[in-house]
Amino acid sequence: MVTPPPRIARASGRRPWVLGLLLALLGVGVFFSPILGTVAVSPETVLKILLHQASGGTLFSDPCAGGSVPASGCAGLIEIVWDARLSEIMLAVVVGAGLGISGGTLQGVFRNPLADPFLLGISSGGTLGAAVVVVFRIGVSEQNLVLPLFAFVGAIGTGVVILIAARSRFGSVETLLLTGVALSSFLSAVLALLLLYSPTGSLQVDFWLLGNLGSLDWTQDGIAFGVVLVAGTLLATYGRELNLLQLGPDVAQSLGVDSRKVRVRLLLLASVTTAAAVAFTGIIGFVGLVSPHVVRRIAGSDYRIVLPGAALVGGGFLLAARDLSLIAFPGTLLPIGIFTSFAGAPFFAYLLFRRRGASTMGVP
Amino acid sequence: MHLHDPSSTSKPLRQTLPLTLLAVGLIVAAGISVVGVSTYYAVRPGSPSGPLTITDDLGRHVTVPLDPARVVVLGPSIMDSMDRLGLRSHVVGVDCYASTLGGLSADYSPNQIALWNLSSSMCVQTGPTFNVEQLLALGPQLVLAATIVSVAAVEQITQTYQIPVVMLQPATLTGVILDDQLLGEIFGASAASTSLVDTLELTLSQAASFQDNLTANGTPFPTVLVTYYADGSGYWTFGPGTFGQSLVELASGASISANATLSYPELSGEQVLAVDPQYLVYGTGFGLNESTYTGGPFWSQLSATQDGRAIGMDSNYFTEPDPTMILVGLPQLIGILHPGPSA
Repeated sequence: MVTPPPRIARASGRRPWVLGLLLALLGVGVFFSPILGTVAVSPETVLKILLHQASGGTLFSDPCAGGSVPASGCAGLIEIVWDARLSEIMLAVVVGAGLGISGGTLQGVFRNPLADPFLLGISSGGTLGAAVVVVFRIGVSEQNLVLPLFAFVGAIGTGVVILIAARSRFGSVETLLLTGVALSSFLSAVLALLLLYSPTGSLQVDFWLLGNLGSLDWTQDGIAFGVVLVAGTLLATYGRELNLLQLGPDVAQSLGVDSRKVRVRLLLLASVTTAAAVAFTGIIGFVGLVSPHVVRRIAGSDYRIVLPGAALVGGGFLLAARDLSLIAFPGTLLPIGIFTSFAGAPFFAYLLFRRRGASTMGVP
Repeated sequence: MHLHDPSSTSKPLRQTLPLTLLAVGLIVAAGISVVGVSTYYAVRPGSPSGPLTITDDLGRHVTVPLDPARVVVLGPSIMDSMDRLGLRSHVVGVDCYASTLGGLSADYSPNQIALWNLSSSMCVQTGPTFNVEQLLALGPQLVLAATIVSVAAVEQITQTYQIPVVMLQPATLTGVILDDQLLGEIFGASAASTSLVDTLELTLSQAASFQDNLTANGTPFPTVLVTYYADGSGYWTFGPGTFGQSLVELASGASISANATLSYPELSGEQVLAVDPQYLVYGTGFGLNESTYTGGPFWSQLSATQDGRAIGMDSNYFTEPDPTMILVGLPQLIGILHPGPSA
């Protein structure tokens, strides 16, 4: 058995109980979040509606009794709480988890604290996919399905280009990063050209770019959940390999990790996870960047903890962003991407400067 | 166990995990999707009479109730048509920003709010994000929407909540007239629709006759720049294919941006100075006024500004494809470009 250098061992101390704590906090958030929305519904009515729906209608036969109802009546309230809010909350958790674990993975793969799911141009690819649908009016009658599909294809297509670069003999970490940055710029230029000749399309793409949780559709939630669960859980099983990659590819290789092969697999899984997330919600910044750092601060830098932890923090972060935006701006639905950046940037700065000079990556 | 202990390998787990997870993921995803199928949807109040299938401006085939009593209108141009057709009483909700972001006044002018008797209780937030909760609370039987709303979001409403959404986004002035006919059909208001369409067509034909007379007399069309914003580098204007450009053509003006490559180009200061248009028409309303434009390049050197031919017009007349654009905006622009009794 090889003994790790003392500094690394200290920096990467495991605190598995943190995962339980994060899960509990997320559960509390999910339970209370339906109380918040843009239409005023009393917490008591919300709770009754949730229990009524969850019990198949056996509990609280008239869940709106005693409370005020809008013009659409109690049935309208049920739609608002059960379909609109709950599916929105579900999507927030799933997308946040996907972005969080992807961010943690990419930071580990690139050994770069600034890496996040959008660094490799995946978001630009998704945006271009969405823009193609809007500008060329593809599937106008099914745009709720066609647009996420094209966004997914655009994002995953960009990921595939990166993967091809990763598999080549020039696939060093630096080359991959620069390829991603170049690809991102190129795709952004294509997008700008496309939209220059379609101002109406520009407005529609803006809706997507701003990022939102407003799809309010259980089917989309189900698809996003399925993809993120499978790809995300697979990512979480690579914690040990990511730990060893932090020691450098040569050391990892000597300890039995085929660094190039592992890198390709992780990039593929992170691309799929990110693509699934952005396809349904548009661009939501900062979640993938901040979440892994939060986990490292409280639980150390062991990727066996960081990856699932980043998923839980990411889900909680996006949910909290949704809730806080509704508290700060009552009755107003803000594009969630704007609010995550507003909230995320100062919080991230606080994390970085709280322990001045300390690395959040857990390596010297 | 040390973090890099090779003996801690989890390969066997990873070999079986993908299939297991795939199965679990698909089962859970299917379960979540089924929740949507079993969901209870609201019965919209006031059962409408027989369905009618129409094709909207995006080419979507939509089945709508005939003469729906509760309608949400997302777009001031559609609201203008509804009012002119005498259908204001059917409108229970309109587009707006959330109250913390400007409310109704961000989408509607004070005149429109007063004229159409709009109130904040009718708000369905469409900017910067579309608010489905507020829409559902109003319990509409039909939504009429311009593309100020995401088309993907619209499809979501139609399919998830079974509220029909008709997209009204005419591409030409003829399209405006066709949309008014369509609204008349949906609401069984054929008499009002015919009357409005006749008035619109009469106004357009009068403008065409005026133009024919100018051409027959060999009178050149005055050069004009219609601008909706100015910054330090130039003037933003309307290019080919836009309503702003169509209006100038109908008003017998020679737009200096008629041959622009883009739909909404910015003409540089030197381009404008080189042509030195006889008229400069700038958009007003929603915070825009003459001072918005005086900072534009060469503003004070232009003949139009020196000779009092820089004139403001409500921006809506150039951007909102509605009956008011034709009935009010067009005659006003003709009056500006062709002052005198002949206009």
